[in-house]
Amino acid sequence: MKKKLTPYFFLAGPLTLYSIWVIYPIFRTFVVSFTRWDGMTRPRFVGWENFIRLFNDRYFILSLLNNFKWMVGFVILSIPLGLFFAMLMDQKYPGHKVYKSLVYLPMALSFVVIGQIWSWVLEPSGGIVNTFLRWIGLEGLAKPWLSDPKIVTYSLIWAALWRQIPYAMVLFLAGLQSVDKEHVEAAIVDGANAFQRFWYVILPELRPAMVITITVNIIDSLRAFDIVFVMTRGGPYYSSSVMANYMYIQAFHNYRMGYGAAIAVIQFLITLGFILIYVLNVLKREERL
Amino acid sequence: MKKFLVLVLAAIMVFVFAKERIVINSYMSDPAPRKALAELVEIFQQKYPDYEVVVNTFAHEDFKVLLRTWLASPKGTADVVTWFAGERMRYFAEMGLIVPVEEVFEGAKWEDYFPEAFRSTCSYKDKIYFIPQSWYWWGVYYRKSVFEKFGIKEPKTWDEFLQVCETLKKNGIVPITIGTKFPWTAAGWFDILNLRVNGLDYHIALTAGEVPYTDPKLLKVFEYWRQIIDKGYLLPNHTAYEWQEAATFLFRGQAGMYYMGQFIKDVAPAEVKDDLDFFRFPIIDPTVAPYEETPIDGFMVPANAPNKKGAIVFLRFIASKEAQEKFAKDLGRLAANVAVAPPDEHAKKGLDMILASAGVAQFYDRDTNPEMAEVGMNAFIEFMQNPDRITDILKRLEAERKRIYGK
Amino acid sequence: MKKTLRATLFYVLCTLIVVLWMVPFVVAFFTAFKTMDEIFMLRNFWSPPKTWTFENFKIAWVEGRMARYFINTAIVTAVSVAGTLFLSSLSAYALAWYEFKLRTAILMIFVSGMLIPFQMLLIPVYRFSVVTGLYDTLTGVILFHIAFQLGFCTFFLRNFMVTIPSSLFDAARIDGAGAFKIYSKIIMPLVKPAVAALSILEFTWIWNDYLWSLILLQSDAKKTVTIGLTTLQGQWISSWNVIAAGALLAATVPVIVFLIFQRYFIQGLTLGSIKG
Repeated sequence: MKKKLTPYFFLAGPLTLYSIWVIYPIFRTFVVSFTRWDGMTRPRFVGWENFIRLFNDRYFILSLLNNFKWMVGFVILSIPLGLFFAMLMDQKYPGHKVYKSLVYLPMALSFVVIGQIWSWVLEPSGGIVNTFLRWIGLEGLAKPWLSDPKIVTYSLIWAALWRQIPYAMVLFLAGLQSVDKEHVEAAIVDGANAFQRFWYVILPELRPAMVITITVNIIDSLRAFDIVFVMTRGGPYYSSSVMANYMYIQAFHNYRMGYGAAIAVIQFLITLGFILIYVLNVLKREERL
Repeated sequence: MKKFLVLVLAAIMVFVFAKERIVINSYMSDPAPRKALAELVEIFQQKYPDYEVVVNTFAHEDFKVLLRTWLASPKGTADVVTWFAGERMRYFAEMGLIVPVEEVFEGAKWEDYFPEAFRSTCSYKDKIYFIPQSWYWWGVYYRKSVFEKFGIKEPKTWDEFLQVCETLKKNGIVPITIGTKFPWTAAGWFDILNLRVNGLDYHIALTAGEVPYTDPKLLKVFEYWRQIIDKGYLLPNHTAYEWQEAATFLFRGQAGMYYMGQFIKDVAPAEVKDDLDFFRFPIIDPTVAPYEETPIDGFMVPANAPNKKGAIVFLRFIASKEAQEKFAKDLGRLAANVAVAPPDEHAKKGLDMILASAGVAQFYDRDTNPEMAEVGMNAFIEFMQNPDRITDILKRLEAERKRIYGK
Repeated sequence: MKKTLRATLFYVLCTLIVVLWMVPFVVAFFTAFKTMDEIFMLRNFWSPPKTWTFENFKIAWVEGRMARYFINTAIVTAVSVAGTLFLSSLSAYALAWYEFKLRTAILMIFVSGMLIPFQMLLIPVYRFSVVTGLYDTLTGVILFHIAFQLGFCTFFLRNFMVTIPSSLFDAARIDGAGAFKIYSKIIMPLVKPAVAALSILEFTWIWNDYLWSLILLQSDAKKTVTIGLTTLQGQWISSWNVIAAGALLAATVPVIVFLIFQRYFIQGLTLGSIKG
């Protein structure tokens, strides 16, 4: 009897707190998405109107597509590079701590600052990127990074990666600690080369870190907001807009809380879809073990 | 027991001798206005020692978001808030979220304090809801030395203006600088062109959502705008720059002109400040009277304010000649109070320009519905980058207007 | 020979990466020491200042009321991190080690809380804090942060806990240890690296939090460092140099925390010895 209830005792505190501050507000958001509300007067029930409008809203579709670009960018770049950095800098040469701390620095800055700094770095005439390109004679590559609608999203993704890759690095650094040294040494004894050691011993033991990092990158890419908001506010004319940014503008600039809530719901469901597939997959594999 | 009595005594003391509190939430986060407001509060507290005033300052963008949450909150936390006159203020008045402040004028009239022309923009249904503090004008700013160098005189008509642009361009200077990362600068251009081409009444009707965006009269505005764009007079890649960054081109003598508000002087480097001057945006159609943009900043009182009486006392002080004069002098702005003279030559020129105008507007995103403003301003940017798309853009704007205003 | 080759490779690669990574940071650094006039008149954003001025740091500290805000932020962050780590370790433990009906469902509840765009929580959370009187209190902000971070932290810790061999758990059970003892004496010490990483992340995240301090606090005296920084941003004017200086000041704390907790990233601290 006691044994059955034990987990619930452990869960009581966290779950209660979580339900009040997070779950209940999420539920409220779902309800609001079916209304028309300006945040001040009484909400008015409008059924599916917001969602129907969403699917015909070209700026929303554009935001959605941009989010997918973010997701691809994050997963393809931040995971391998984060892992590479972690493995590289975890080698115990003197000074490795210094390198780690320096690469970690971007994470210590707030998004507002990161956005501002990268606006300067990518400035078309005086920024260091274009100045450098012109200096080495690659004038043609010195693009207007933030004002050309075709490339602005990629510039933003890169600014975000400056911080996201160190984030992945920290997660992998923690994960590397659960890799059993003895297993690696046994593999060396068995004659495995560096690549085989990595692929067959280290990588499988990095699974907890890998799961977290992939999950986090998917979520963060679909939830991207601060960098976009600070650097371009979704401009020029919505070309760099992402769902969270568009939602914010609708809810807090246009005072369409209901419509904003609908966007939030869609964003939530899409993210949930990806995560569910991934996490349930992971859980299944754990059970098999 | 003793300890308890002491505590009770202390509590009573605090209660009896407690000053009445007035809480002000302000978006004046720039260092100079913030200091000026703090000093005004000091003076107020000396004059009225029964009051303790607390000023909470917020970044401008955040304030806009937070204001609504404060006003709609079941329990009020602020007694006075800074805000803009015009439609944005009337919106709250209509919902009963702010209260009329007529008591500020006890005995006296509005006209004793402020210009008649400001009255309508500060009231709703004939009641005053807003106390103006300062206002500023928009003009075409330039560097005197640059104009002198190329023998350019302040243009008065549109054709003269185009001439000036051509001269500047020929001499390797970007004729017009603008920073459209945040689109309100483009809205400034739209407003003034519309005022010049179609006049104030048309502009007010448009911002009130009564004129279709596909109206041919509106298209004329964009045709004039196009002339500047097609001839390449605008700063390249302007969407990458904030208004301030675009201003640096003007300061460095790399650009010739900037249609901007008077606060550009606040940010000019010392060596450039005195070299800056401005002229009225050129007249396009001589049959249309000159109208200008004069956004007005000031204060209002939330309906859920805990201390309404204190708020009124404070606002009465703000409206007084003494307070208005100090604020204007410290910042080189124009005070709303009629008894205050302009603090310097530059401000006098601005005031004269406004007095010689037939009427004033508040600015696109302060006069029109916020949703329309959001999509409208972004449309202006799209037009500036792709002038050929104008008919398509206007069609889309019209669809939005129908949806938002339901007409 | 191979050893020195490896070492050289290490240093070359690391230095290259760090140099590349630090470029934007150097830009911020230089900007923090420039005067506003210089920023406007110079046509680039990357050259070292002509005159190094410390004025910006002074202004950021005084105008940004950093002394007060550092204290507020330190209190909020320290308490929130401790609170959320403790509570999430409890829930992670339950979800990792016990089989019960609602396990997957509850785990998914924690996970889904991570997915919501937080801007949408703004109004309901604000309303709640006003109604309960927690508005404009540091306690309210702390409670919110603890609650909000529970999702991620639970997921994270649980993930690490499941890699611990169940033989340990069973052995302790046979020895008669109660659930709480197993949790505190056996499981928790083994997830130290994970907890260290988590505390670094959570500390950084909550220290740099902007949105919730904005919504849940009003009085100038209660604000946190990130909010204080933005009030340096004017309605019209952005004093970039002051903001850069302020940001650098604010960033020192999370960096120090990283340095302190980094030593828990030592390989095979306890894990290796148990696995044998």
